[in-house]
Amino acid sequence: MAASAPTAPARPPVRRRRPRLGAYGLLLPASIVIGVALGYPLVRQFVLSFQEFGLKQQFGAPPEWVGLQNYTDLLTDSYVWTVIARSIAFCLVNAALTMLVGVALAVLMERVARGARMTLQVALLLAWGTPVLASMTVWQWLFDTQYGVINWTLVHVFGLDQFDRHSWIVQPLSFYLVATVIVVWMSVPFVAFSVYAGLLQVPAETMEAAQLDGASPRQRFWNITMPMIRPVLTIVLLLQVIWDLKVFTQIYTLQRAGAPTRETNLLGTLIYSMSKDFGQAGALATIMLVITLALTGFYIRKMLKEDEL
Amino acid sequence: MKILRFAALGAVAALALAACGTDTPADNESPSAGGTPEPATIKLWLNGTDTPQELRDYLTTTFASENPGSKLVIEQQDWSGLVPRLQTALASEDQTPDVVEIGNTQAPTFTWAGAFADITDLYPALGGEKLLQGFVDAGTADGKIYAVPYYSGARAVFYNKDVFKDAGVEVPTTLAEFNDAAKKLTTDKVSGLWLPGQDWYSGASWLFTNGGDFAVQEGDQWKGALSSDASVAGLTQVQDLFTNATNAPADSDSAEPWVPFNNGEAAMFYAPTWARWSINIKECDEKVAADDQSDEATEKRTKQQACNEEHTGIFPLPGNSADEVATAFAGGSNLAVAAKSKHPELAKNLLKIIFSADFQNQLGSKGLIPGNSEYTASVGDDVYAQAAVKAALAAKLTPAAENWATVEGDRVLEDFFQQLATGQDVKTAATAADQRIADILNG
Repeated sequence: MAASAPTAPARPPVRRRRPRLGAYGLLLPASIVIGVALGYPLVRQFVLSFQEFGLKQQFGAPPEWVGLQNYTDLLTDSYVWTVIARSIAFCLVNAALTMLVGVALAVLMERVARGARMTLQVALLLAWGTPVLASMTVWQWLFDTQYGVINWTLVHVFGLDQFDRHSWIVQPLSFYLVATVIVVWMSVPFVAFSVYAGLLQVPAETMEAAQLDGASPRQRFWNITMPMIRPVLTIVLLLQVIWDLKVFTQIYTLQRAGAPTRETNLLGTLIYSMSKDFGQAGALATIMLVITLALTGFYIRKMLKEDEL
Repeated sequence: MKILRFAALGAVAALALAACGTDTPADNESPSAGGTPEPATIKLWLNGTDTPQELRDYLTTTFASENPGSKLVIEQQDWSGLVPRLQTALASEDQTPDVVEIGNTQAPTFTWAGAFADITDLYPALGGEKLLQGFVDAGTADGKIYAVPYYSGARAVFYNKDVFKDAGVEVPTTLAEFNDAAKKLTTDKVSGLWLPGQDWYSGASWLFTNGGDFAVQEGDQWKGALSSDASVAGLTQVQDLFTNATNAPADSDSAEPWVPFNNGEAAMFYAPTWARWSINIKECDEKVAADDQSDEATEKRTKQQACNEEHTGIFPLPGNSADEVATAFAGGSNLAVAAKSKHPELAKNLLKIIFSADFQNQLGSKGLIPGNSEYTASVGDDVYAQAAVKAALAAKLTPAAENWATVEGDRVLEDFFQQLATGQDVKTAATAADQRIADILNG
């Protein structure tokens, strides 16, 4: 950045200087907000990750510097690696499913008549707008072992007696199945609406021209629509990966509903369970940040490159 | 599409950063020095529904009249997840409750961490040596007293007399007889004993009665004891009950076991004796609204309670021989003033009210054994009181380790008992749990 504001300007470029000052001025509030709300916690977390910061420190004892101890403790613990692997798998499966269902719904919204579209949109908005804890309570009751309507339906409508008092969350795999249904259900509206907005931007003329040239609907979709909405798809996928990696509320609530805690922990809940030791929690949160960057760095670079074109 | 892409990228950046925030501890300023208490509103955290509404009302009105201008607000917390919640709240001067109730097994961790204010000078006024000693020990660090006993209680077995009669089952006098009775009473629809998979508080009785324990101290190291022979014997009985004597889900905990009992889905349940006020079986239900204060409603409620007490009974879980009762888990809780409370004087005034003869007697009349042993008689001498006192006298605490609260906070025992409920091998599961317990207690 070149130095500006000369003391005795020979040829004062008043018109050029003012907007520049104004531009920095406009950047200031946003920078302060980001610095205070995101920068400070991030720095604090980073510093904590090199300290021994337990319960006693929370109540006033001075923290002790331990160097990389927290990191080596975590990275030599096979359980931490299990949880990292679980989290990545959960994140990828959920992001993929959400994208699949979301795009399908967006295409559907574009094709159906107005009334059907409105119904679909209202339904999606409600799913998106319901507070997480409120909908989690409903989901818990749906899957409840004793009184859940899902078990009831499977037993009384389909005659599957093995689901009488079947516990859905007591086995890890089945727990993740339930969690996936819930997380996908909650995330699909965002994908569907974003992609639908993208679809509306695809010029009708282009499609018409392709049609006149004899392109089949399938060809038009894969060769024209998809490339045109690709930027939207990339960004939405990126967000899904980030969100699904840090998923917390749904997993925590389901654990509290009676799932085995240790066998169902993901990164978010594992960090939370370390709350007695902020040092370790900070180290694991930093590791999680690195994983997030590793998973998404590729996309971000690609997006930035496309922007330059 | 370029604009769309650019805007979204900004959103990505912001959200990606937001994804990585973590807890930051609150400032570690010391609380302002207390002088004459200025009028203020103080907060008391009580856990679960153990303290009945009447007693809460008594506290708020008495506090307001004895401290003109001040007000007491009682906030109810769940027992489940209490440890992390207290940890964050107590460390923040702005969020901390002034007085907290804390489980007796969780008290040592917070006491040693400096979360509570020193109330040694208040100890004689609150009852001194008459206070339940085990609980005072749990709240003592370096000879100073930080937490005092609120109430204690042990579990007893509630049973439906009609179901017992129909099945031709007598009240069992030994633990073995009890196990058999529970199995005999079990059908597809009815559980002999309501025993949810994560209810380690109840399961502890079989463990303790067979001579087992959660952990033992060897020198300055803790060692998990769940896989010892005595423990395995007790846990095998628990697994047998899970398999053959209950329909309770493996994914439930000890909360509100009277619900299935009231619904006629269980012949017995095992709970703290104050559960008596929550029993309302179908035959007796007068369907009065909880907030209806009319004379008619009160009359109906009395009738309902009498009917319930006629059709249901209570006995302490029997021990290994007919003249013993089982060694149950000693439930109960402590009270402490938060170290970061801004109104320590008012908080101490509240403690004085709680430890007044008047309030202690009210605790007793509600089936909670009061913290001051001078008032134990207030529990009464009906069948409920007798069962409560008998069970409590034989009860035992969890290991007195500084880190025990972490074992509870990490839900190690919930996970372990659930493994028993889902049919995993007792010895294997116990060995794995022992390792986790030792890691935490020595960590």
